[in-house]
Amino acid sequence: MGTGVLDVDDNNFESEILKAEKPALVDFWAPWCGPCKAIGPAIQEMEEKYGDSIIFARCNVDDSPNTPAQYSIRAIPTLILFQDGKVVDQVVGAVPKTSLESLVQKVL
Amino acid sequence: MSEDLYDVAIIGCGPAGLQAAIHAASKKARVVVFGKPRKSSLYKAHVANYCCYEEPISGKEILEAGRKQAENFDAEFVEEDIIETKNENNLFSLVTESGASLTSRTLVLCMGVSRKKLGVKGEKRLVGRGVSYCVDCDANFFKGTDVAVVGNESAAVTGALTLLSYASTVQLICRKLMVIDTLHDRLRESQVKVVEDTWVKEVIGTDEVEGVLLKNGDTLNVKGVFVELGAKGALELAANLGVVFDAETFSSIETNKKQETNIPGLYAAGDIVGQPWQIAKAVGEGCVAGIEAAEYAKKLADS
Ligand SMILES: Cc1cc2nc3c(=O)[nH]c(=O)nc-3n(C[C@H](O)[C@H](O)[C@H](O)COP(=O)(O)OP(=O)(O)OC[C@H]3O[C@@H](n4cnc5c(N)ncnc54)[C@H](O)[C@@H]3O)c2cc1C
Repeated sequence: MGTGVLDVDDNNFESEILKAEKPALVDFWAPWCGPCKAIGPAIQEMEEKYGDSIIFARCNVDDSPNTPAQYSIRAIPTLILFQDGKVVDQVVGAVPKTSLESLVQKVL
Repeated sequence: MSEDLYDVAIIGCGPAGLQAAIHAASKKARVVVFGKPRKSSLYKAHVANYCCYEEPISGKEILEAGRKQAENFDAEFVEEDIIETKNENNLFSLVTESGASLTSRTLVLCMGVSRKKLGVKGEKRLVGRGVSYCVDCDANFFKGTDVAVVGNESAAVTGALTLLSYASTVQLICRKLMVIDTLHDRLRESQVKVVEDTWVKEVIGTDEVEGVLLKNGDTLNVKGVFVELGAKGALELAANLGVVFDAETFSSIETNKKQETNIPGLYAAGDIVGQPWQIAKAVGEGCVAGIEAAEYAKKLADS
C-alpha cells in the first residue's frame, strides 16, 4: 500500500522525480481532458499495488507548462517512467491496463 | 426543440437509443433523442439473428420503424451531434453541433462504438509526437504552429474551429463534409482552409510530425495532425462528466443492471457499454435505461 498519487509541478519536479531514489511514473494530465479522467482510477489502483517500490505522481500540464515542454509532450495523457533522472519509457493516451502494467514491470 | 427542461435526453438513435426513447416516452416522460440514423452501425446491416424476424431484415428498416414508434409516443428527434456535455445542479446540459443547448433531468448515452484511428503509415509511430486524437486535450501544445485536422463530421469541424484560437494555420482534410448547415456556414466564414475530396495517405516525420501526404499527391507541411473521425464519443463526452470506464481497456462505460453509471441520473446502453455488439443486447439495455431514466426524472420533478 502506497501513500497516494503525488502532485508534482515545475518547481519540485527535479527534487521529487529526477533526484528520487525510487523510480517514478508521472502522469501528465489536465482537468479538461476526458481520457486523462478515464485512466485516473487505474493509476490510483496501481499506486496501491506498487506504491512501495515506485513513486506514482501526476503533473498538471496547465499549471506547469515547462516540464511537459522539456519532455516534448504534445498529447495527454502521457505517462513517463523515470529512473535515476532518466526516461525509461513512456506511453501516450488511454492505453489498456495491460500496457500500464508492462510499463511499470520495466523497473520492478 | 424547445427551451425548457426535458426529463430524458438520449444521445444516439441506434437500437439502444430508440428503445430507451420508446420506453421512457411511453411512461409519459418528456424525451429528446439526438444523432444521425445513417451513423448507426445498424444502418447498412442485414440482420438474420434478431429474435422473431425469421427472414433477414434490413437495419435501415428497423431504425425507421423504431423512430416512428418513438414519435408515436411523442419523443422528439434532433438530427444533430452533441459536442458538449455538462452536469450542474443535478441537471445535464448539452450543446448540439449547430450551437443549440438544452437541459435535461437525466441523460442516456447510446453513442455506440466507432472507428477513431486512420490506420495509415506513420500514424501509430507518431502518436504523442504530433498525432493527436483529442483537440480539446491537446490544442494547447500547438500554439503558433501549422496544424491539420482529419475528418468529415462534427468532431473534425468543431475541432478545426477550436484550433483557430491556438494554431497559426488550420487545414481541414476531408472527403466530403457531413455536418449541419449552420456549422458548415461557420466553417466557411472562418480562417480554416478546407482541403476537400481527398484523404490522408501517410503521416510523415522521423521523430515528430513534419507533414501529411495526401491521396491526391499533395504534401501539407504541418506539425500537428488531429484525427477526429465521426462524432465525439464516450471518452470526450462521458469521461468529462466523471463516468467510470471499464477498468481493463477504458473503452466502454461501466453500468449496473439498471444501466446506471456511477453518476446519478446518467445511464448508458448498447455497444457503448461493451460486448457483445448485438441489437438484441442494445434494445434490452435501452429498454431498462429508458424506464429507469423516466422514473428517476419523475422523482426529481416531484421532489
Ligand atoms: C456491418 C454490420 C452488421 C451487423 N450485423 C448485425 C446482426 O446481424 N445482428 C446484430 O444483432 N447486430 C449486428 N450488428 C451490430 C449492431 O448494428 C449494433 O450492435 C447496434 O447497432 C448497436 O446499437 P447502439 O444503439 O448501441 O449503437 P449504434 O446503432 O451504432 O448507434 C449509435 C448512434 O449514436 C449516435 N451518436 C454517436 N456519437 C454521437 C454524438 N456525439 N452526438 C449525437 N449522436 C451521436 C450515432 O449518430 C448513432 O445514431 C452489425 C453491425 C455492423 C457494422
